Amino acid sequence: MSYVSCLRCKECGAEYPIEPRTVCDHDFGPVEVAYDYEAMRGKVTRQSIEAGPRSIWRYRDLLPVASEPRVGLNSGYTPLIKADNLAAELGVRELYIKDDSTNYPTFSYKDRVVAVALMKAIEFGFDTVGCASTGNLAHSVAAHAAKAGLTAFVMIPHDLEEGKIIGSQVFSPRMVKIRGNYDDVNRLCSQIADKYGWAIVNVNLRPYYTEGAKTHGFEIAEQLGWKLPQHTVVPVAGGTILPKIWKAYQEFITLGIVEDNKPKMYAAQAAGCNPVVTAIEENSDLFRPQKPQTIAKSIAIGNPADGYYVIKVVRESGGYGASATDSEIIDAIKLLARTEGIFTEPAGGTTLAAAIKLIQQGRIPRDESICVCITGNGLKTIEVMHGQFAAAPVINAKLSEFDVIVDEIKEKAAAATATAGV
Amino acid sequence: MSETTRKCWLTFEGGHQNEPCLWKMSRRYPDVVFDIRQASVQKDIGIMAVLFSGKEEEIEAALKYLIELGVKVDPVEGGSLVAG
Repeated sequence: MSYVSCLRCKECGAEYPIEPRTVCDHDFGPVEVAYDYEAMRGKVTRQSIEAGPRSIWRYRDLLPVASEPRVGLNSGYTPLIKADNLAAELGVRELYIKDDSTNYPTFSYKDRVVAVALMKAIEFGFDTVGCASTGNLAHSVAAHAAKAGLTAFVMIPHDLEEGKIIGSQVFSPRMVKIRGNYDDVNRLCSQIADKYGWAIVNVNLRPYYTEGAKTHGFEIAEQLGWKLPQHTVVPVAGGTILPKIWKAYQEFITLGIVEDNKPKMYAAQAAGCNPVVTAIEENSDLFRPQKPQTIAKSIAIGNPADGYYVIKVVRESGGYGASATDSEIIDAIKLLARTEGIFTEPAGGTTLAAAIKLIQQGRIPRDESICVCITGNGLKTIEVMHGQFAAAPVINAKLSEFDVIVDEIKEKAAAATATAGV
Repeated sequence: MSETTRKCWLTFEGGHQNEPCLWKMSRRYPDVVFDIRQASVQKDIGIMAVLFSGKEEEIEAALKYLIELGVKVDPVEGGSLVAG
């Protein structure tokens, strides 16, 4: 049974039928999927969710899909890791990593949103899907479309990392590189959607696509033992995921599935592309678009479509924002890998670096529960880590040569201990 | 020339939020009708959702003129769309 009631304008509340629509005809505000929560009461419960598949579709009652899912059957339900080593390093009591670097099939949170968007594309009768992408979305659209038997067009900025390009091409989509940044690509995709009538997942299917991001929030709550973390730090690119995690938390609160512990939301951006964080810091409702200049290309969106709503949610929840320089991003990637064995891409490094700043500033208390949302995998962007590590020693296959290395390691450790003692 | 409509987001920055850019545009292109659907103006930035109506070429010229005046013009992503 579907509990979807309509599409509703986030600004004026005008209602529209379920159709491929992005904006309200009256004020051009974005439309969002609305549900009948009263009808869900007593039917959508912890038990009903726990009885579902171990994928995003266990939250199907809270997603805008009417038919039996055929896409994303293994997407979602990624680990929520209690990061005790990292917590000790940062001096905080309770720290979790929601790790979408392991998401299936393309190792980023985008597999959630694309699965929902492609199901909707199938329901609407589209045979061609596409996206404007900084890489991760292209991978996901290409992979899911391959499985679903849909034609895929992926449009990417011309200067993406090599790993991100091959990660799409392997699924045989039609790929077009656009000279310009993500915002230029996105603008072209709007025109393509209008002219060719294709389902561009983050353009004309955006209201459905974004709903998939709620599953990241649902999972955090469920995996935390049906509780909400008091502080959630989320990367901001186009601004999809942060407001949708918030929506997920609020839906669970509305349905009585979790207690309202007044969770706070925090935005993380790279210093080289931080229109939303700047607006939060300046206490402005509006952000000024920027030209991105950062190693965190997957979140380098200078004019985020839902940036306004990120600011709104952050403010409403009592959270804040922080941005991280390229070197801070690299350091955070290394820290997460060293302490928790998780290799994230620069977007994840940005989120952790921002969380560290917010903790150091005292905006996030050290004795309350914190969740850091990691949305992508570092193996896709190994270029950014080149030159970051000392070269590994090369030896002949002789134990005596290996012994020398072990002795050197011991000497360095002893010297470090002696220095620390001084 | 065919009649058409165009939905746009206009962003005013760098002092342009304090200039009557739309008035200037309408003086130069009086047959282009502009209908402000939503607006928010703050100290450093102003954003406006505007529906333009008129002959296609004239709307195009009017939008180019706004860009010359320093206004950032972005198309609003499509309204409803039929599968195809």
